[in-house]
Amino acid sequence: MNTTQQENLLEVNNLKTYYPIKGGILQRTVGHVKAVDDVSFEIKKGETLGLVGESGCGKSTTGRTILQLQNATEGEIIFNGEDISQLRGGKLRKIRRDFQMIFQDPYSSLNPKQMVGDIISEPVLNYERVNKKKLKEEMMDLLIKVGLPHDAYYKYPHEFSGGQRQRIGIARALALRPKLIIADEPVSALDVSVQSQVLNLLKELQEQFDLTYLFIAHDLSVVKHMSDRIGVMYLGGLVEIADKESMYEEPLHPYTQALISAIPEPDPRKKTERIILQGDVPSPANPPTGCPFHPRCAHAKPECKQKKPILKEVKSGHQVACHLY
Amino acid sequence: MKTETSSQIDINMKNKTSHSPWAIARRKFMKNKVAMISFVILMIIITLALLAPIIATSDITKINVLEASQPPSADHWLGTDKGGRDVFTLVLHGGRTSLMVGFMCTVFIMLIGTTLGLLAGFYGGWLDTFIMRIVDFVLILPFYVFVIALNGILVKNSVVGGVWLLIIVISALSWGGATRMVRSKVLAEKENEYIMAAKSIGNSSFKIMFKHLLPNVISIVIVQATLLFAGMIVAEAGLTFLGFGVPQSEPSWGNMLSSARQSDILQNKVWMWIPPAVLISVTILCINFIGEGLKDAFNPKSSK
Repeated sequence: MNTTQQENLLEVNNLKTYYPIKGGILQRTVGHVKAVDDVSFEIKKGETLGLVGESGCGKSTTGRTILQLQNATEGEIIFNGEDISQLRGGKLRKIRRDFQMIFQDPYSSLNPKQMVGDIISEPVLNYERVNKKKLKEEMMDLLIKVGLPHDAYYKYPHEFSGGQRQRIGIARALALRPKLIIADEPVSALDVSVQSQVLNLLKELQEQFDLTYLFIAHDLSVVKHMSDRIGVMYLGGLVEIADKESMYEEPLHPYTQALISAIPEPDPRKKTERIILQGDVPSPANPPTGCPFHPRCAHAKPECKQKKPILKEVKSGHQVACHLY
Repeated sequence: MKTETSSQIDINMKNKTSHSPWAIARRKFMKNKVAMISFVILMIIITLALLAPIIATSDITKINVLEASQPPSADHWLGTDKGGRDVFTLVLHGGRTSLMVGFMCTVFIMLIGTTLGLLAGFYGGWLDTFIMRIVDFVLILPFYVFVIALNGILVKNSVVGGVWLLIIVISALSWGGATRMVRSKVLAEKENEYIMAAKSIGNSSFKIMFKHLLPNVISIVIVQATLLFAGMIVAEAGLTFLGFGVPQSEPSWGNMLSSARQSDILQNKVWMWIPPAVLISVTILCINFIGEGLKDAFNPKSSK
């Protein structure tokens, strides 16, 4: 793939999303949950950036903030050369057609009272005046492309299984022919046999529709299968971002090393050394000073408690936020 | 695997039996015998009341002292009241008034409650606080006292009088509970990802509220409305019985019941108050069974 020469489709600079904590009788803001704290990355056209991290590390919030479903506290979101983080109202609505989201839970992401045909044609009707009959044909075509029978058009969400419902969700995201798709743990609610089908469908569609993915997941093998580059998040911050090969062969950040050592090895004779992390993830409302990972890090130095490391390029295409490098 | 192509698709094919959530609820309701029987009885009562001027030809405005307080006979199936008016005719005309008061109150209350509940639940923030504090205020007002007082004050200086004034006053004091209920359902429903999805595919807030949230909260609105309908018929009867509801000139079930305040009528002339009492009871019972049936029908987890 010659993605390296391609331009950036999306650039995220110093993105911060804080949730205020209200307290006291007057409901004054007494602090912030720093769900996303100073995250920067870029996605090139046609590539897939995987975003991994444990629950509550801010990966979903990052995705939602990029879509402006959640307002950014600070930072820039540059899409196709235009900062969209300050857009509101009609302009925001206009730009939304270029990026769509695939949601995590196929059971709650489809309106139970809407016919599948209405669910997937609604985005188009919101943006275009189209011939109803032609639209219906297109939508039935789209249903076939995502692997559903065309008469699914007349059915309702409750008549489908989890995997099929996720396909409906994918069809809805594709209906507008967006440039960027943010997939927020699209397979974590599905069972393993269905997961691979949906993942392969996503890959097929990427080629067919020339899509760019931001793929959010907590399953490392899923991310490995899907992504060209991978970003690792910990406590609202990006700790390491690199090409897939480089990340899996030589993880640099101690947290990434621990994560990758936890991937199950199918060969029982192969000896693997698991790094067991001590302690729990600190609260994002009161993150530790310095490097957010230092209380659990085996290689922590005094410096780590004081200064927060910033992402720096250690090797070509491999950035890490750690004082060890 | 993909054998179908667009050219082979007959785009006009449609399922013979619809599986829409509404169709499923309707089928479930039709299978519920108690609810269906109640529904038929209620429809008969409503039809009779609506057709009162055609069925009951006796004039209810004329007082005929010669025929006063007669027991049931071939001429007067349910006897006559103190003014010599035919009780059968009165009970049908009274049904018109009582049912209309109940129905219109329900419509107004649910309209206000659903709209405000949707707004408060969807937008949250200061609008939510503002609406809910008004709701608290409305809910703490003692209902009967305020209906009587407001009705008394407004009856002299308002353009609308009589029954419509009563409807407006009752509605204005009763929308609090409905608002609260709709809001709580909206709060639960809007956490679903399909609301976020609706936003991400470019819907306006207005469209999200009325196209996505409303259809998913309307089932409890309908159930609540049925039960409220029963409650409002009782409220009308109660107020009128006390002499503060529908004006004396207008026949209503409550008005007919109020004649039973005299112990002579209560004990010796039962034909004057038993028909409206039975009709009120039967109507309310039917409405409640229908409400229960609807509740089951809309509940996806019940297989009844």
